[in-house]
Amino acid sequence: MANKTLLVAQREYLENVRTKTFWLGILAFPAIFAIAIGIGWIMEKTKAQQSYAILDYSEQKLGTRIEEQARGGDLERYLAELFGGAKDGDFAAALAAAEAKIPADNPLRGLLAALKDTPPEEIEAMKQAAAAGKRPTPSAATMGRFFSWAADLGPDQIKQLTMLGSAQRYRLRSIQDLGVADLPRAEQEQRLNDKIKNGDLFAYFLIDGDPVAKADRLTFVCNNLTDSSLRDWYTAAATTVVRKLRVQAEGIAPATAAHIQEAIAFAPKQIAASGAIEDVKKEDQANKFAPVVFVYLLWIAVFTAAQMLLTNTVEEKSNRIIEVLLSSVSPGELMAGKIWGIGATGLTIIGSWALCGILGVQIGAELVPKFAEWNLMAIVGDPLYLASFVGYFLTGYLLFAAVLVAIGSVCNSLKEAQNLLQPVFILLMLPLFAMVPIVQEPNGLMARVFTYIPLYTPFAMMNRASGPPPMIEYVITTALILGSVLFAFKAAGKIFRVGVLMTGNPPRLKEVLGWLRKG
Amino acid sequence: MDYALTLDGVTKRFGSFTAVDDLSLRIPRGCIYGFLGQNGAGKTTTIRMVMSIFHPDRGTISVLGHPDASEVKDRLGYLPEEKGLYKKMKTGEIIAYFGKLKGLDPATANRRAKELLTRYGLGDWIDKKCEAMSKGMGQKVQVLGTIIHESELVILDEPFSGLDPVNRDMMRDLILDMKRSGRTVIFSTHEMERAEQLCDYVMMIHKARLQFAGPLAEVRQGRDFGIQLDYDGDGAALRSLPGVSRVNDSGKFAELFLAPNADPQAVLAALVGKVRIRRFDVREPSLHEVFVRTVEQANQKLEAAAAAGGR
Repeated sequence: MANKTLLVAQREYLENVRTKTFWLGILAFPAIFAIAIGIGWIMEKTKAQQSYAILDYSEQKLGTRIEEQARGGDLERYLAELFGGAKDGDFAAALAAAEAKIPADNPLRGLLAALKDTPPEEIEAMKQAAAAGKRPTPSAATMGRFFSWAADLGPDQIKQLTMLGSAQRYRLRSIQDLGVADLPRAEQEQRLNDKIKNGDLFAYFLIDGDPVAKADRLTFVCNNLTDSSLRDWYTAAATTVVRKLRVQAEGIAPATAAHIQEAIAFAPKQIAASGAIEDVKKEDQANKFAPVVFVYLLWIAVFTAAQMLLTNTVEEKSNRIIEVLLSSVSPGELMAGKIWGIGATGLTIIGSWALCGILGVQIGAELVPKFAEWNLMAIVGDPLYLASFVGYFLTGYLLFAAVLVAIGSVCNSLKEAQNLLQPVFILLMLPLFAMVPIVQEPNGLMARVFTYIPLYTPFAMMNRASGPPPMIEYVITTALILGSVLFAFKAAGKIFRVGVLMTGNPPRLKEVLGWLRKG
Repeated sequence: MDYALTLDGVTKRFGSFTAVDDLSLRIPRGCIYGFLGQNGAGKTTTIRMVMSIFHPDRGTISVLGHPDASEVKDRLGYLPEEKGLYKKMKTGEIIAYFGKLKGLDPATANRRAKELLTRYGLGDWIDKKCEAMSKGMGQKVQVLGTIIHESELVILDEPFSGLDPVNRDMMRDLILDMKRSGRTVIFSTHEMERAEQLCDYVMMIHKARLQFAGPLAEVRQGRDFGIQLDYDGDGAALRSLPGVSRVNDSGKFAELFLAPNADPQAVLAALVGKVRIRRFDVREPSLHEVFVRTVEQANQKLEAAAAAGGR
């Protein structure tokens, strides 16, 4: 008997898995995902360099200082990274390690060599800053070495060096270069306006008056109203410069000023399983949001498989093959065979996605070092997630499969089925809306309510996995959902047995309820 | 006698509608048995009960000596009236699949599928998908799927509908082959000539009730004799003949039924000169005539009963 169920299941599975369209459909999902990420990355990479000019009429001639302050940010970030990677703040070792990682012809070697001359006091200061979680501030001399190194770089070399983020994105064009240096002010502005209009120049900054006393005559002229990154970057640098000058002007000791300006922060901590308090790691944060991704995938998988089952049942019924099948197998065997066969198809889909996910995470970590910090591998490979994902896929699928196979069995065409399906799909959509609130409060009221509605149990429990919910809830919900699956199967079996041979209009709800009572 | 199938007082209702009413039948082994009846008479429901797709509300069905037909499902072959295939499956695969569902092991099923397709002229189609086939070919494939497991009892619901003459002959040969190898074949049809040519036994069901059942010769016996006439000319002339109570005119062929005590010779004499006679034959009525009259009589009885009930 069970043998025939297996035969039906096998046929269903092979029919789906054998077609090219099936694999195209499955792989389209990760492919679209990868493409979306890839496009973002490529757009970031290939974003046209924005060229800008500075018209500096300020009393203090702040233009150059602001420019240096802005460009110096690249070095500060790079040093922060070096210190972050250095054990116990051993700067020399960090330099050596960085050097070992790059080929001999990499222009970065020039910078690393120049940084070796950094005096020990400065290193010590930077080390303390790094330890306190602040950005190290290199001295003017170190900055000078950085600037003279950067000045020698050709455009191709700049493109190659990821550390030169700002140089890659923004290019300063001197007013000499633009041919407006010796013109009167009104003429200068007019010329630059023209250049912006015809696309020669992205933007220019007009620094006027005495910004240290009152910064009310600063203008940014640009025709791109949406991309404010250049203005933000430059404004940050200008603010720093002006603040320093104001501190100086007020006769305040720089250390005092720094102290006053220091932003304070609460360090995020969490309580580990052992009860001890520990730092929040980035991977823990990723962990919190992982369920959202899993629920989404779960939903798509359940939805896809259940839909397949429905289409397939209606097709069998509309092309009348069902009667031949029923002369060889019982309706129960047929239904079970179909559900298991398509369940296996669903597992294949999930397996393929998991494989793509693992590959993606690994390739992603290779391409973008920052990616590795999230330690996604630990999440993808976490047995709790994996087991719950497969388990909840199966139970969720079986529950919806029972509903859909019953619907499919009473419909004669896909059109009819789709009409009946709408309410089911709306029911199926709800867990998606509830996803984010449940993640934010995995053991809150909403999470609990959803957990105990059998149709949503798989999604809600997966959603709460980061909580994680107490063991007792796992036990209760597992019993609840298994019971519901059993009940749904029984009911679906009764409807299927009668519905599958019916032709003509779909039965009314009253009739269906009659079958349920009688069967 | 050993019966392939016995039905005793079988009744099946769908809601308030009675599809089969108190049906009893004995179908001997090794014969060809015709199920006759109009559309909606209850033939398909009867067959579905035999195949244990439906369960009777009352009465018992014994198939191949087993009281529960589902126990012997694998020893039955069934071709439903509505024929369909999986469009995306290859012909060889689908025939083998039907065989496997009937309990054949995969190797045997595959081998026999290939043999059958080759024997019945579809050898080139083994690796083609069903969606590429014409309707007739698809039907052939389905029949092959029905017989692959060499079942003892084969039930064919309207096997001839939708087939061209060549394929009808093939279907006929297939049925005769099965009889020759000792298997029992039941088929339902609307075509009386076909039933007349093939069946050892026939039964007729009308509006859920059995009208008659038995060997073909017995069914025809005891009824009014008729004149079978092959002719050329204007058939209108047949209607005004003396002593003729009923005319079944097909244009080139007609069946004439006589009023009581009428003389066939007088009819012949009256016919001469009116039409050109090619054959004149006095014999038992055709199955067609038996069928039409049975329907008429049954309807009259039902009307009378309804009128009596209404009073």
